[in-house]
Amino acid sequence: MTATLRSLLRHETILAILLVLVLFALASQSDRFFTTANLLNQGRLMAEVGLVALAMTFVIVTGGIDLSVGSILGLTAILLGVFWHNLGIPLPVAMVLAVFAAGIGGLVNGLIITRFGVPPLIATLATLALYRGLAEGISQARSVRGYPDWFFVLGQGEVWGVPTQLWILGALVVIAAVILGLTTFGRATYATGANEIGARFSGIGVDRTKLLIYTASGLVAGLAGVIFVSRVSTTRSDMGTGLELDVITAVVLGGTSIFGGRGTIIGTVLGLILMQALKNGLALSGVKGDGTIVVIGVVLILAIVASNLFSREGDG
Amino acid sequence: MQPILALEGVSKSFAGVKALKDVSFDVRPGEVHALMGENGAGKSTLIKVMAGVHAPDTGEIRVNGAVVRFASPREARAAGIATVYQELLLFPELSVAENIFLGHAPRTTMNALDWTKMRDEARRLLDELDSHDLDVDARVGSLSVANRQRVEIAKALSQDARVLIMDEPTAALSDTDARRLMDVVRRLRDRGVAIVYVSHRMPEIFALATRVTVLRDGAYVGTHDIGAITEGELVSMMVGRPVDQLFPKVDTEIGAPILELRNVSYRDEVEDISLTLRAGEIVGIAGLIGSGRTELALTIFGITPATSGEILLDGRPVTITDPKQARDLGIAYVPEDRGLQGLIKPQTIRENLSLALLDRISTATIVDRAKETSLAKELIKRFGIRARGPEQRVRQLSGGNQQKVVLAKWVATEPRVLIMDEPTRGIDVGAKAEIHALMSRLAGQGLAVLMISSELPEVLGMSDRVLVMNNGRIVAEFDRDAATPDSVGTAMMQTSANDAGAAKAEVA
Repeated sequence: MTATLRSLLRHETILAILLVLVLFALASQSDRFFTTANLLNQGRLMAEVGLVALAMTFVIVTGGIDLSVGSILGLTAILLGVFWHNLGIPLPVAMVLAVFAAGIGGLVNGLIITRFGVPPLIATLATLALYRGLAEGISQARSVRGYPDWFFVLGQGEVWGVPTQLWILGALVVIAAVILGLTTFGRATYATGANEIGARFSGIGVDRTKLLIYTASGLVAGLAGVIFVSRVSTTRSDMGTGLELDVITAVVLGGTSIFGGRGTIIGTVLGLILMQALKNGLALSGVKGDGTIVVIGVVLILAIVASNLFSREGDG
Repeated sequence: MQPILALEGVSKSFAGVKALKDVSFDVRPGEVHALMGENGAGKSTLIKVMAGVHAPDTGEIRVNGAVVRFASPREARAAGIATVYQELLLFPELSVAENIFLGHAPRTTMNALDWTKMRDEARRLLDELDSHDLDVDARVGSLSVANRQRVEIAKALSQDARVLIMDEPTAALSDTDARRLMDVVRRLRDRGVAIVYVSHRMPEIFALATRVTVLRDGAYVGTHDIGAITEGELVSMMVGRPVDQLFPKVDTEIGAPILELRNVSYRDEVEDISLTLRAGEIVGIAGLIGSGRTELALTIFGITPATSGEILLDGRPVTITDPKQARDLGIAYVPEDRGLQGLIKPQTIRENLSLALLDRISTATIVDRAKETSLAKELIKRFGIRARGPEQRVRQLSGGNQQKVVLAKWVATEPRVLIMDEPTRGIDVGAKAEIHALMSRLAGQGLAVLMISSELPEVLGMSDRVLVMNNGRIVAEFDRDAATPDSVGTAMMQTSANDAGAAKAEVA
């Protein structure tokens, strides 16, 4: 028991130590970094990437990838605006419908991957273009504004002093961690990623598992889209462009193997925080945007190399 | 004659576990030195030490009397030591000639690849191996296992190997191919190559080897001239105890029919199969590779669902369209390829053992870790799986122990029908006897067992009834008393003179 715990947490431990070091370094660089206001604000900014990263952890653990999440986010934002503004559907209903549509987008990814055997990279690369194209076509380059005040609670409001979306993220972190770490579904996810054929021969519903995961990935991207619109008060078709890269970086930084079979939600959360802290801290210390990207790239490589060095096991 | 390669007092540990304890071994030019031992005895580790993959913790390696330390397999190869592993390390998309000369291709004066010379040299090497029929321009991926193996050997020779290590070279070959390979080994031996030969097959050892060395539990047991030892003595050296009866078939009362197939077909791979499996019965399926045996098992288990016909369980028709349904109906399948189909190798023994019955040890889909661990511990004990504990990773286990994990995982689901596909392939005598005893015990408890095997003695020794398959159909059926090597063997070969030849050549 302790042995697995140790091997499971090894990457996460390295990451946690790294995170503490980074936080100290950044705090010493700028006195504006380690303030409650700044930290909560950073939490607000990372919620969307974080939500999508939770589902992406499942996707990557199965050995797949979902590149279409940014486009799904953009499509959801547009649909929300169109449903409410152009079609006159009440906003709460429009929100549900938009997220539902995002779920369909994810389901379509899953169907292409499981029914037709298209590799996830290709399938979602195609739908990345497809969904973004749809978003642009529907929006006709017009943005939707003028949402009612109550809507902004989601993206700009606070509950007990903490940004609303951080509560949502927190709740979903717990749910995702329980599902992946403790349930039969989590086991099916790991088994599928480690050896799909072996999992199928053990009576695991491999296709069903993947369908559910890609659908959930779409749903969560949709939820992130609604929060995004609420946070920036407007709807535009280019929302979420490049989001998938941030999400994948956080997940991989968190120790999830891109080959499948390995990864944890705790790791993803640490990876996410580390990435956001670097972005914000470096900006506050006066490093320009390009420099920040370089630093994140270097940290990503170092974290992976370090955990590979420590987790080497004999093959006897 | 002085040994060309000698190991003295070699020890090697992995993560605190001793894989080799003070082992000495040597091989002389022009001899075949057989290396034997049960799975997990340390043969693979010893080979890897010789091949420069692992550096020994203590002890020394000498080549032609001079002490060497290999930092990498490349250095061992440079010293003339080549290895042909069980899993062949070839590039399927490249041609035969390219594979042979990969990394040391002949160059022209302009330093470009000298294709003409490369193809000529490849031709010459293959001719030396008596493989005139092998095209040097063929894509390696299109070749049979036997031919790929010859390419691998030619590759070793192209680097002037003076020591050739062969790890179970005949394990995946048909009898004809195995005999051809043995001829190749004799040729090489006569040319003065020193050969280290690992195999579980006794007749091969006695036909080829000059000397034989036995390892057990990582320790050196002894070295003998082949003429000075009998098969029985060798086996007891390997196992460390006298071996139990080889096929411990116990007569049990045969009960009511459990599984019935009526005219079941899957495309043209399984054609019109009707059979009945009764409680307590072991039914053996014999047939050549490609005769449809495994395909039939896959159809019953729902991997390739039947395209026509009817399957009945306890007299009631059932539809099986995926393995999950088969499992829930009480059908278990111990597959042919344990690494790919049977196990999730990077995971722990605990996770593997519980994978097929997760629903039963979870409440509201949350897996009960305590129950899971105690289940794993109990199964490890009951099946005699040699492991450090439930948290050890399956890929670190030896072949025989991996097979026991697969078997334990399926028996734990408490199935009513157990299909076993090549249940003892590639595992040693000791583990084999244990698996046979277990099979007998399970049948005694009322399970219906369907056993597919390429080993005729196993089929004849364990089965109450023998079915012979050929070309997707059942062509003969024998009761235990009527099933003899002659009768079953004849049925396997008949009517297949034309197509079985083709099947055998490329399906392998």
